[in-house]
Amino acid sequence: MLWLLLFLPLLAFLGRRERDALVRLSLLAPLFSAALAPFLLGQVAGPFRLDEVGLFYLLLTDLLYALIALFARGYFPEGEAWRFYWAGALFLFAAHGAYLAHNLGVLWIFVEGSTLASALLVYHKGGTRALEATWKYLMLGSVGIALGLMGVILVYALLSGATLDWGEARALVKGANPEGLKLAFALLLVGFGTKVGLFPLQAWLPDAHAEAPGPASALLSGTLLNVAFYALLRYTALAQAAGLFPFASGLLIAFGLLSLLAAGLFLFGQKEYKRLLAYSSMEHMGLAVFALGLGLPWLALFHTLAHSLAKTLAFLGASGILALTHAKEVGRVGGLFRSLPGLGVPFVLALAALGGLPPFPLFFAEFKAVEAAMRFPLLAVLYLAGLGLAFVGLLGPMTQMGFGPGRPLEARGLDLWALWLLLALLLVLGVFPPVGAFKTLEVVLWTR
Amino acid sequence: MEVLNTLVLAVLATGFLMVSRRSLDAVIRLYALQNVLLALVSFGLARGEVHFLLAGLALFLIKGVAIPWYLFWLLDRLEVSHEVEGYLSVSLSLLLAGLLTGLAFRVGAVFVLPEAPLPQGVPVALSLVLLGVLSMVSRKKAISQVLGFLALENGVFLLALSESHGLPLFVELGVALDAFAAVFLAGVLIFRIKGEMGHVDTARMRALRG
Repeated sequence: MLWLLLFLPLLAFLGRRERDALVRLSLLAPLFSAALAPFLLGQVAGPFRLDEVGLFYLLLTDLLYALIALFARGYFPEGEAWRFYWAGALFLFAAHGAYLAHNLGVLWIFVEGSTLASALLVYHKGGTRALEATWKYLMLGSVGIALGLMGVILVYALLSGATLDWGEARALVKGANPEGLKLAFALLLVGFGTKVGLFPLQAWLPDAHAEAPGPASALLSGTLLNVAFYALLRYTALAQAAGLFPFASGLLIAFGLLSLLAAGLFLFGQKEYKRLLAYSSMEHMGLAVFALGLGLPWLALFHTLAHSLAKTLAFLGASGILALTHAKEVGRVGGLFRSLPGLGVPFVLALAALGGLPPFPLFFAEFKAVEAAMRFPLLAVLYLAGLGLAFVGLLGPMTQMGFGPGRPLEARGLDLWALWLLLALLLVLGVFPPVGAFKTLEVVLWTR
Repeated sequence: MEVLNTLVLAVLATGFLMVSRRSLDAVIRLYALQNVLLALVSFGLARGEVHFLLAGLALFLIKGVAIPWYLFWLLDRLEVSHEVEGYLSVSLSLLLAGLLTGLAFRVGAVFVLPEAPLPQGVPVALSLVLLGVLSMVSRKKAISQVLGFLALENGVFLLALSESHGLPLFVELGVALDAFAAVFLAGVLIFRIKGEMGHVDTARMRALRG
């Protein structure tokens, strides 16, 4: 049955190039997988096994994919929609593979596969800018992930070539040479960190997110970054099993903070709103890595969930705005709150959520992280400084786009209820954060 | 062991030549040769086990035959000069390559794990990785960057061979398949770049900033 779950996303290819058939299949496949997956918990097939953490990300990816596919129906013209849905199906297939994999090597293969599929998403229809972004992404992403593969090889060699299955690896790794493992972890962090968008390896991220068509940007930010982050989670759990968590923690905290501060600086003076959102992704992935480094995997998981929802909402809103105004710059869009509340209200609130305002869940996550970082006052100060920078960077565009001067607009042909659904989910998550459930996930991640 | 030593050194030599040659045809041929040598190394380590023979054979077919053939075909169809075009002169490239190899041999000791079946391959693998990165950053043509990536990828493969007899077969095949898909995709992109911009010079692709 796991094989069925793995290959379900490819069902979309039956729709050939007809938009309506593609939309239907692209909704059916993830929704059906999401309904099926909980019943397959704990099943094993070849190198695949579904556990709670994998299931969590699988469900999140499937649900977001369905929403994005639905929104994309009104966004792409009839003739080019197939490009998005085909690349999207390949991407969803790779993401399924990564979350189902119970083997470090297979996980690597699918993470690389997701890079290739998402390069197609960025490329879409071409054009000089998209080509440049895709090329940069493909080259940087491939080199990064090749360094990650060196880490996988070292881990395999350190386990005496016995296994790459991580249940078995966790048991064996206690006896492995700690110096070698540290080296392997550093390589893995650099490798997967490139794909997560950690500073200073983030160069591809803003270009790819800004040049991809809107719904594709939403997929990249809301689901692709999680795939690489998930790999980091697994390897951190492996380091923890080997008793090397203090070492891993230092690296994670350093990279997380650096990304946060760098993103905070980049957010300033960013003129294009899609680039702004891209740097905000870098910020939040940095925050999630930081939370993981503090030894709070549940918080890291929660942070990625909240970020995925808010960022998908923001990018879908941004693609709607771009489709209606044909303006990429913050300064040329204004007054959305009044002139187009159906789109403006969720978009502006998404920016507020990304800026870390209550009652949204990212506020809760950041509050918890500061609380934990208080043990090391310097860390807490740097963390707060980064958050402040990022917040101020987002505040200007938020006021301009929401309440600044602008022309009245009409929402033509766009399905906006996906945005409102995401907003409602965000609010529920912010007011009732399911901490208990995430702590259960943490136990699964840390002990199995 | 003597034979393996010689083969590993020959791999290093092809890596060096790939950095210094100025003709893309020569670089592609060197890449193919490097793959033949690596396949021989994996046969040499095999001691008759089927797994290694299969991995070596698959590697040879994908990377020694299919990819070079595809690259030659690409180069023919593109109608661009077959010169490498880089930021560095030949002598400077060689000097840097020498320094990087020295570095790889110096830090290689850290990477060698106690049970490595081919410890002398480890520094060579690291050298290939570093030389690959050098080619990628110092060259302008999109296609020579792809060749740099492929050299890097071969370094990673040699690392797997030297440290642990290679990864499990299905993982190894998956990795090779990914590499092939990446090169194929890069080829398609190069065609589009040529079509849209009239050149394949990545140094002139600078629309995106900040």
